[in-house]
Amino acid sequence: MAKDTINLSVNGIDYTFSIGDNFGQVPCNETLLDTLRNRLNLTAAKKACDEGACGCCTVIKDGDAVPSCMTLLADCDGCQITTLEGLSDPVTGELSELQQKFIDYYAFQCGFCTPGIIMTTKALLDKNPHPTEEEIRDALSGNYCRCISHYHVFEAVNAIAGRPEDLDEKWEGRR
Amino acid sequence: MKNFGNENYTPENYKYVGKVNVPRKDAKDIVSGKAMFLDDYKLPRMLIAKTLRSPYAHAKIKSIDTSEAEKLNGVVAVVTYKDVDQNMKMGWPPTKPILGEELMYVGDPVAFVAAETEQIAEDALPLIKVEYEELPAVTNALDAVKDDAPQLYPDLFKNNIITPGYAPFQKDGPFWHLIKGDIDKGFEDCAFIAEDTVEFAKMAAPNAPEAPGAIVRWEGGKNFTVWCDTQSGHICKTLNNIVMPDANFDVRTFNVGGSYGNKQSQVMQVMSALILSMKTNRPVKVFQSKVEQMCCFETRLGSQVHAKIGMDKDGVIQAVKGEWTVDAGCLSNTTQGQVGVGIGEAQLVMAKCPNWDLDTNLVATNKQPAGIVRGYGGQELNSCLSLLIGRTMREGNFDPVEVYKKNYVCEGDVYTWRDGRQWQAHSVNYVKAIEESSKKFDWKGKWKGWGIPTWESEDGTLVRGVGCGIIGNADIGEDNTEAYVRVVPDLFTDKSRVVIQTNITESGMGQRSNIIKMVADVLNVDYDMVDITPPEIKINPTGFGLCGSRGTICYGHAVSSAAEDVRQKLYDLAVPFLEVTTDSMYMTDYGVATLARPGKFVSWKKLIPPDLTLTGYGQHLENFSTPNMFMIFVEVEVNKETGQVKLVDCLGGTDCGQAIDPAMLEMQVQSGIGSASLDTAIYEEHVIDPSILRTMTYDMIEYKWRPFNDFPTYETCVLESQFDTFQFKATGVGEIAGAAAASATMQAISNAIGVQVATYPATPDVILKALEKL
Repeated sequence: MAKDTINLSVNGIDYTFSIGDNFGQVPCNETLLDTLRNRLNLTAAKKACDEGACGCCTVIKDGDAVPSCMTLLADCDGCQITTLEGLSDPVTGELSELQQKFIDYYAFQCGFCTPGIIMTTKALLDKNPHPTEEEIRDALSGNYCRCISHYHVFEAVNAIAGRPEDLDEKWEGRR
Repeated sequence: MKNFGNENYTPENYKYVGKVNVPRKDAKDIVSGKAMFLDDYKLPRMLIAKTLRSPYAHAKIKSIDTSEAEKLNGVVAVVTYKDVDQNMKMGWPPTKPILGEELMYVGDPVAFVAAETEQIAEDALPLIKVEYEELPAVTNALDAVKDDAPQLYPDLFKNNIITPGYAPFQKDGPFWHLIKGDIDKGFEDCAFIAEDTVEFAKMAAPNAPEAPGAIVRWEGGKNFTVWCDTQSGHICKTLNNIVMPDANFDVRTFNVGGSYGNKQSQVMQVMSALILSMKTNRPVKVFQSKVEQMCCFETRLGSQVHAKIGMDKDGVIQAVKGEWTVDAGCLSNTTQGQVGVGIGEAQLVMAKCPNWDLDTNLVATNKQPAGIVRGYGGQELNSCLSLLIGRTMREGNFDPVEVYKKNYVCEGDVYTWRDGRQWQAHSVNYVKAIEESSKKFDWKGKWKGWGIPTWESEDGTLVRGVGCGIIGNADIGEDNTEAYVRVVPDLFTDKSRVVIQTNITESGMGQRSNIIKMVADVLNVDYDMVDITPPEIKINPTGFGLCGSRGTICYGHAVSSAAEDVRQKLYDLAVPFLEVTTDSMYMTDYGVATLARPGKFVSWKKLIPPDLTLTGYGQHLENFSTPNMFMIFVEVEVNKETGQVKLVDCLGGTDCGQAIDPAMLEMQVQSGIGSASLDTAIYEEHVIDPSILRTMTYDMIEYKWRPFNDFPTYETCVLESQFDTFQFKATGVGEIAGAAAASATMQAISNAIGVQVATYPATPDVILKALEKL
């Protein structure tokens, strides 16, 4: 039986959306990405390829990294969604360890693909706190980065995975 | 740091320059999702625009009926060529109406729709009824110049050859043909000569993650506020003023999601939103889909070169004769400037060559526009010429590293730059950087000679080869730039903040933060106490943005000079308080102290009238005398059974004078793999269906790009020789990190398989054909 409402949690806040074609309702073909960006003003996830190829729209749905541009809101009933905005402390704004590592290791350039890269990484680490380098590379293989920040992303994620490169040594005399 | 004066610009005195000790100013915003990009921004009553596009490469609109589209609930405006002033032309010279009756490529705009929502705008497009008359099309530049070719703009150009010269770049007149010395005699003196036609013409897509877009709000009259994801608000304004010379644009930008030189002018995005905004009296947003970006936005230039290069017995190039055909697609987006830079960059690589006859043709074809991309013409030409230089080196059995050392520009060499003027290289010498890079890559250990693999698997299926390439650009001192640095005393504390006022959009290189580091060092203040104004052209003085690698020198020079200027003003004001001459003063603790009278101190706050601020002004004047250099070494592995090429190892080497932020620089060096650079030798290309002339590589599934799990090892070798450029003795270098990578990769592939490969990209079919297996 078709449901006329969708309940889901985004970054710990519960929402109910009415499905339909009237003003204010969510049409059944609306993607999770459009809902996040246009209705909830959560704009960290980016619309780029709009066909699940680039990973810029990645969010976590029930523990899995998913392209939100290829996920219908109507398929998210009862789901827990986490976006990049949900990683920082909602009150103090304090960054999570993962976000801080992306700063420490300069793991971005233009930053447009960074929200997707961080969310893919977060989903990986939640399931596998100590991934191998190969596991990191494979997990991120659906995330497009054209500035080529890959090497610094590897450093940041490796640091969390238990293989930190000593930045004081790398930048000896530069710190 | 104390005693910081003009004589003290040395690394040991810097607190921030050259250090990896402070995050980029926008770092927290980027990792938390707070950073604002164009598509995250909304205006009240904003409409969304979509574009109906031509299905044909060359066609005339016989009839167009928009009535059904206009009836759709939520559609606010539909415009066609009938509604648009046909004198509003884009390109240089002004060539093509924003909406024309004649369509010049698959994807050329036919009509614009503005609607309340994106969905409604999209739904309206198929309701527009168009009848086309298909016309003969030409998509190859060498075919386009033939007498019997279809003529795209017969009233403007003969044989589709676009008028040379871009006046703002070439004030003495058009520059498109380099003639020097005695070319015939030059070849007589050569021991080794190579001559051939080489192409780098697959028009690869820079494909920034964030698509091009703009929001325009008509403010009445000819006044427009423009929010655009351009890399340079100034260039966006300038190029749109070609279309509407008397328009008053206020261009504002956000963080830009990648550009690579590509998202600068954005004329079609701005103008389509502008036309609809004037029609509806509402703000209108245009944001391309990824398919539109891939099929309708600017690609790399097509480059077809017939050239003859001669080298003497010592490995010094003595003569270059060539005809460079540049495919601009349907129009020139000031591509004449790129032609000038391409000719200039060729001279930097062959800087000892006294004899030149390098002619160019800039050609219009029925393809999406090609234009400005990182590498700016130099890359497209180098990818061809380097293969011919390689052949002369092979004839003479020279080690390419040794040849590049002998031929690359250094202090004293003279070259003609894109302005058509003679410039003499000043201060730079890259021999040491080439040697150190070569050593770090173990070139001597890996290089076995021309056509000889570095390694071969036991069964002979897998072979590895190495290659190297070099390139440079003197544009790093291009365009006049100015900046203000303002000291703003706190109201309730004794400290002051410092505000840099200059026009820089952040598109990934970290330069907004880098110039803050410079100003913090000049004024001896904390990095956290220095702010920079938003990237808007009305509130900031002239700044062309970070096109090319000009940011370091041009903005560095302007802001450092502005900081020095305000520093001098503060010293002058401090004389009555410290009772010494200014030459013994120094900046400390947001005030001025003196070496002559230890203990004497006066705060800036005390020197500046209450509630007011003190401003310094600085400028950089265009200068092409300090070319940069980037050398790349690559190792590839080729599977001789499948033809697959795997990139195994890279090393990027340079001498940047002084690294401003070594971590950011490292990333800029590595970035040569991206933005349609290195991989244009392996798999990046646009493929056009020869029968229907449509782009088959229209999205990110069909277009090949390098994923995270396919990256080679990458080392960097960066020297800092303190060049005489500006206060901090640095050069910019990021732009060219990938500019010689494609030719270096082709050299490596050829050495791996023992057969010369010269077809970009070297996809498996190319390799197997070279091995005579196909």
